[in-house]
Amino acid sequence: MVEILEEKKGKDGRPIFVIKKSDLLEFMRQKKQEGFDHLSLITGVDRKDYMEVNYHLYSFSKNQYIVVKVTTDNLTVPSLISLWKSADWEEREQYDMLGIRFDGHPDLKRMFLPESWVGHPLRKDYDLNNVQYINMDEYGEDYATFDPGDGW
Amino acid sequence: MKTGETGILTTTIDKALEWGRSNSLWPLTFGLACCAIEMMAVQGSHFDISRFGSEIFRNSPRQSDLMIVSGTVTKKMAPRLKRLYDEMPYPKYVIAMGVCVIQGGPYVKGYSVVLGVDRVVPVDVFVPGCPPTPDALTYGIMTLQKKIRGETDR
Repeated sequence: MVEILEEKKGKDGRPIFVIKKSDLLEFMRQKKQEGFDHLSLITGVDRKDYMEVNYHLYSFSKNQYIVVKVTTDNLTVPSLISLWKSADWEEREQYDMLGIRFDGHPDLKRMFLPESWVGHPLRKDYDLNNVQYINMDEYGEDYATFDPGDGW
Repeated sequence: MKTGETGILTTTIDKALEWGRSNSLWPLTFGLACCAIEMMAVQGSHFDISRFGSEIFRNSPRQSDLMIVSGTVTKKMAPRLKRLYDEMPYPKYVIAMGVCVIQGGPYVKGYSVVLGVDRVVPVDVFVPGCPPTPDALTYGIMTLQKKIRGETDR
């Protein structure tokens, strides 16, 4: 049985469901059976003490959006890739920008930044003064460096 | 120079080359962000840089001699931009279009944007604005033509 911790409406009128992390897969499976067949968006929010992950689902038959929110203390969230294939890149993006690890993701690596980039730039505690640069090696692979003379 | 009725034009090879070079600047099709919309407007029929000899935007860097860097240059794009610039044949020119390209613009405190494309490639003309109007970019191209002909003050 899925326990809904909080149900409210956003400013745009979309229903928001706050649920527990352990119920996420079960809840999403239910919603998919109810007709929310399109995973529109996954975003993450850094709330300093914990991370929040928002899922926007869309139903083509009902023409309706819902938002599902989960929070995590230990930076892990179950992956939704078994339900929607589009979760692949969206979850990789959240891993890249916020460092949220998605359990069950088959290929969890950085989406935009090179693998050697240090830190996750959308976190509140990311140090902007420690500037990193990107350059391309002879094989066309990007790498990040702290040396201003090496990259841009 | 016209002398009498014979109509003889005297010039130097350098002058002739500069004249031809400045009036056939073919830009590279290279749009990075929103400034590219204004660059497309420059190419369109209303502003029409064909009037200044920049006839068509070439799709290959090997056929173009002007790179209009229009839009935010991210750190990931910078090595690609350098490679495209290196593939262009000499003589080649660069116009930096918009504040993002000139010094980072609104992203100056971000983690991902190169603070000025002159850190990557040498720039001939800076066109400020966010985005610059098509008139401003046209003026930038005319300024570059003057620079090629050696007519600029600086």
